[in-house]
Amino acid sequence: MTSKTPVETPKVRDDAANWAVPAGRLRVGEVPPGAVNLNVTGRRLVGPVQGFGQLWQKTYRMRLDGIAITPPDVIREWKANYGAFWPKGNHFYAPQAGIQPGVVVLINGESLGGVEVSTGIEVIYADDESFTFMNAEGHPAAGIVTFSAARDEHGVSAQVQVLIRADDPFYDVMLPIYGHRFEDQMWTKTLVALAAHFGAHGDVTVERICVDRRRNWSQAKNIWRNAAIRSGFYMFGAPIRWVRRALKEGREA
Amino acid sequence: MAMTESTAPVRYRDGTAVVDLPAQIDASAERTLNEAYATAAGHGSKTVLLNFGRVEFLSSTGIALVVGILARARKDGRTITASGLSDHYREIFEITRLADFMKIYADESAALKGGEAT
Repeated sequence: MTSKTPVETPKVRDDAANWAVPAGRLRVGEVPPGAVNLNVTGRRLVGPVQGFGQLWQKTYRMRLDGIAITPPDVIREWKANYGAFWPKGNHFYAPQAGIQPGVVVLINGESLGGVEVSTGIEVIYADDESFTFMNAEGHPAAGIVTFSAARDEHGVSAQVQVLIRADDPFYDVMLPIYGHRFEDQMWTKTLVALAAHFGAHGDVTVERICVDRRRNWSQAKNIWRNAAIRSGFYMFGAPIRWVRRALKEGREA
Repeated sequence: MAMTESTAPVRYRDGTAVVDLPAQIDASAERTLNEAYATAAGHGSKTVLLNFGRVEFLSSTGIALVVGILARARKDGRTITASGLSDHYREIFEITRLADFMKIYADESAALKGGEAT
């Protein structure tokens, strides 16, 4: 008599609910107080292949050793408190629906000269152990940012991985002067704040790989929708808008 | 959960290297995909066809791996094409705008014939 050993059928997860549905142009729901929807509605998303500058993959990782948590615990808390982990001066206008596929979020980021860059992202992917943002046209970086948590033999670690190009020649010039430093600080401080939320402390490791050194000269035209330049004009035009509004109200009174 | 076997065999047809992608493309597939591309590149094929016919799970980390291969191929002067994508994966290629930079064919035969992508 022969006996058959049951063969475990490999199971593959279903990813259908984890991805956003393509919508073409971005749409923003209600604009939260303080947010500026100057560079998001009507824009498209830009991936790493649509940007201008060199393609960089940067991985920021922090161990959360000594705490009894699982990767889904980390991601759940990260999603729920995402904006609170950002460094001061940057605003993530978290949607009421939370971080889930298809949600478009307005963000204000600090920049040189005190200009607040108004731009946005869409959550293109989210599951229990990771979530991914893709940037709107005009954002300094064309590409995707993936936030994840994983367990290895030593414990749990949290990670931010960006795969980006400078979106246009202006941002490309700014990248070595300011952009890389800003981004390193942004994600290092975010991970430190996330770890502190769980009562963990430690260092963030950073790995930078230039995946493609060539520039996409065909994408140089992206400069026309540069969110930093547009936000600068918008910001410095505030007094003029204020005077116009006052005059209009005076005429109507 | 049982782990799925992560292999990406490389075949050669009509001067094209065909990479049969594994069922699950996420962080765990990084080495498999990189080795497959290195094998295809080592053979000297000018076109590498990524066959998505077996893929059942693709995470955003997996998409980042595909972008990495696309960037390396561009640097090496190779063309990357794709075939066997379900409607769902075509949508993902649309969201991430990979479809703008990669010819997508209905199946392997159509890809090997070249011509208009679908």
